[in-house]
Amino acid sequence: MESDERRNGDSMSHNHRAPKKPRLVGLLSESDIDSEFAHHQTGVARINNGSFGCCPGSVLEAQREWQLRYLRQPDDFYFNGRRRGLLASRTVISELINADDVDEVSLVDNATTAAAIVLQKVGRCFSEGKYKKEDTVVMFHCAFQSVKKSIQAYVSRVGGSTVEVRLPFPVNSNEEIISKFREGLEKGRANGRTVRLAIIDHITSMPCVLMPVRELVKICREEGVEQVFVDAAHAIGSVKVDVKEIGADYYVSNLHKWFFCPPSIAFFYCKKRGSESDVHHPVVSHEFGNGLPIESAWIGTRDYSSQLVVPSVMEFVNRFEGGIEGIMIRNHDEAVRMGLMLADAWGTNLGSPPEMCVGMVMIGLPSKLCVESDEDATKLRSYLRVRYAVEVPVYFLGLRDGEEGVKDKDSGLITAYVRISHQIYNKTEDYERLRDAITELVKDQMTCQNLPSV
Amino acid sequence: MASSLSPPEKASYHHRHSKRYSSSTNGNVESSSVSDFIKRPKISPQNYISCSEIESEFSHHDPEFARINNGSFGCCPSSILALQRDWQLRFLRQPDRFYFDELKPKISDSRSVIKRLINADHDDEVSIVDNATTAAAIVLQQTAWAFREGRFDKGDAVVMLHYAYGSVKKSVEAYVTRSGGHVIEVQLPFPVNSADEIIDRFRIGLESGKANGRRVRLALIDHVTSMPSVVIPIKELVKICRRECVDQVFVDAAHGIGCVDVDMKEIGADFYTSNLHKWFFAPPSVAFLYCRKSSNGGVPDLHHPVVSNEYGNGLAVESSWVGTRDYSAQLVVPSILEFVNRFEGGIDGIKKRNHESVVEMGHMLVKSWGTQLGCPPEMCASMIMVGLPACLGVSSDSDVLKLRTFLREKFRIEIPIYFTPPGDGEIDPITGYVRISFQVYNKPEDYHRLRDAINELVRDGFRCASLSG
Repeated sequence: MESDERRNGDSMSHNHRAPKKPRLVGLLSESDIDSEFAHHQTGVARINNGSFGCCPGSVLEAQREWQLRYLRQPDDFYFNGRRRGLLASRTVISELINADDVDEVSLVDNATTAAAIVLQKVGRCFSEGKYKKEDTVVMFHCAFQSVKKSIQAYVSRVGGSTVEVRLPFPVNSNEEIISKFREGLEKGRANGRTVRLAIIDHITSMPCVLMPVRELVKICREEGVEQVFVDAAHAIGSVKVDVKEIGADYYVSNLHKWFFCPPSIAFFYCKKRGSESDVHHPVVSHEFGNGLPIESAWIGTRDYSSQLVVPSVMEFVNRFEGGIEGIMIRNHDEAVRMGLMLADAWGTNLGSPPEMCVGMVMIGLPSKLCVESDEDATKLRSYLRVRYAVEVPVYFLGLRDGEEGVKDKDSGLITAYVRISHQIYNKTEDYERLRDAITELVKDQMTCQNLPSV
Repeated sequence: MASSLSPPEKASYHHRHSKRYSSSTNGNVESSSVSDFIKRPKISPQNYISCSEIESEFSHHDPEFARINNGSFGCCPSSILALQRDWQLRFLRQPDRFYFDELKPKISDSRSVIKRLINADHDDEVSIVDNATTAAAIVLQQTAWAFREGRFDKGDAVVMLHYAYGSVKKSVEAYVTRSGGHVIEVQLPFPVNSADEIIDRFRIGLESGKANGRRVRLALIDHVTSMPSVVIPIKELVKICRRECVDQVFVDAAHGIGCVDVDMKEIGADFYTSNLHKWFFAPPSVAFLYCRKSSNGGVPDLHHPVVSNEYGNGLAVESSWVGTRDYSAQLVVPSILEFVNRFEGGIDGIKKRNHESVVEMGHMLVKSWGTQLGCPPEMCASMIMVGLPACLGVSSDSDVLKLRTFLREKFRIEIPIYFTPPGDGEIDPITGYVRISFQVYNKPEDYHRLRDAINELVRDGFRCASLSG
């Protein structure tokens, strides 16, 4: 195809699009979906889309085409194809998330990278005296561990202090979260300090809860928080994302989790400000100073193919009824349905009401399993993987003094939850397998203490 | 298509248990030198990779192009690409299991292979990162912290070569200048006639770094400069740094492994980085950053800038998990050794033949164009700078970019071009140099095409000024 264009006198430098394949039309059937995910290991109840996401075969193929295009003539691709391809991806995303300007959208490897970008900037402000020592960063206690470490590396190291807001869990309403957050902000401002940054998860990871992010950002504005960073690693493809409505300064979401991109790609939204925003990619290239979108578009020789397939992913999701919105609704409804099925079978509970779930739900594990530590949770997870071919993350809920906790049907304290995910490739049997595995373990009087190592 | 046990598993098994290496039975290779490790099996000449097999391995390259710029983006044979895909599929198949059971040990395997290739002492000294640009950010961030935290005085110096790579210069600006360090660029001559010219200039640069009671905290030296490309006498420069009490030496050897001899103990730097996707046949992208352990076993406090839950566990472990990524390029490294050992002399043989060929082609072009090389043959590895005829009228950086585009679009030749301003009073100065590379897939015809294209332009009275854009 490319050589045809050249014979017609077009310069190769004008051919920026990946070679077009015959376009598939019509809605995908169930067997089409099976075929798209045929590379998933068969025989595994893969109910943990939340951790590493998934990528359909047709998008992987589109990715391979981009890879080959680069390998075929990398210089030409570097000078001619790459930037336009990345701009096309950024434009799709910008429209999807209702950003004002595509310049507000950068592509980075993952949310972890975006966190480093924000926190490096905050760290510089502390180092350079813009912020007073002891000014605060406020976040939730269940913030993703990498983000916490990033705060340690960039903020604590230079004297900034942190306030952790404890997320109530199990949780029953948004108000519970909002009131805790207000308390946290007050603490952050105590003794004349300024809250320089609030980090809010749109959807917390473990335990998994859909947060009232719009309200929380509003409160931040009301209470004079300088900047708000929403860590929405799970958001795009899970919930509607409208960055103007949410109103944060920084917003990041991974596209390889719930938006069918291959590993790895995230978009990082930075609201345009009047003044120089001083965010930079930590891997500095010759593009330094040209704005984050341009800096991020070249961080040295890399395989950028996962960032180039976003338009192909839109084609894919539009082969589902209702497009990405339809997928989100169905994932949510099925995850809740399966969650209720499991809670009923085990006599336990959901970690949050359905309206505070996305395509992921937390379900209490029977107290009889005696999950008493993070190590127990890991042990149980491995056991489920190896003995039952069930992949599901297990969360240990360490109750603090004074916290009552929730009891299951055996009147035992629920100390652990599984986080089930539902994505388009999942089937009811996946969750039934989990249900039966846990039921069997309880029946056999297995506990985390007597569970054999695998 | 549920995949069965994929080749990567077999390949790494083969490495650990192959009798090729002077190894003990438990698979640990106790090698005292690089050459011990890369000992090749006794392959008879008939079993070396053939010309048609090489063509096949690079059949995904655009056949229309004279691809004489391996230096910029490197290359990757299709058998390695296939193995890389297997690794990608292995992750996609069951990512949690892969993450918990396989990723870390397999990255350790890659690090071990690199450690032995570069003659480092400990696996801990070897971290795998995306590219040299990332390695530079890691080292320079450490320097920035020292300035910010008062361990270095404001105004203490970082010395680097004027020909340092553009991205590295920006990184120095972003991390060092911003935190209060003073940057000194050592001007190097070009064209250059001998290693001594470089050594002398470097000494002068260090002197100025130490002026006014300052300390030179970091010397940042290229092993092979990018543009213009010259092999720097790195061992001598490191020795001078030690004598002159430079705190740390960081060697940017983006063009290192597979191009020049890379022996950490011989070179003696504190930090050394090299891309494997340029000259070591890795897919994009993978590089190593070597950090020398001090005599008391300590390591400098380096951190990957993308902080994950592994923060604080040492750079190698931090770098092995920087969030969800495609780590497949890092995982194929053991397989690459198998590929290079299909060539006579293995990687050493490839380096030697690349060097001889690029010099031969350089001489051929010089003779045809009546120009000169940018440096003597012993100061080049697998790339060489060849002067363009002065009559082409190359007079700016913009000219060389336009001329490069013109050669690409009109002649299907891919070649980077360097502009060097004429010296005072120079008559008919050579202001443009092409940087030709030679890698295993190249053929003399590639360079004949360049020769003929330039000669055609000369005959037609072509001037860079006539190019638009």
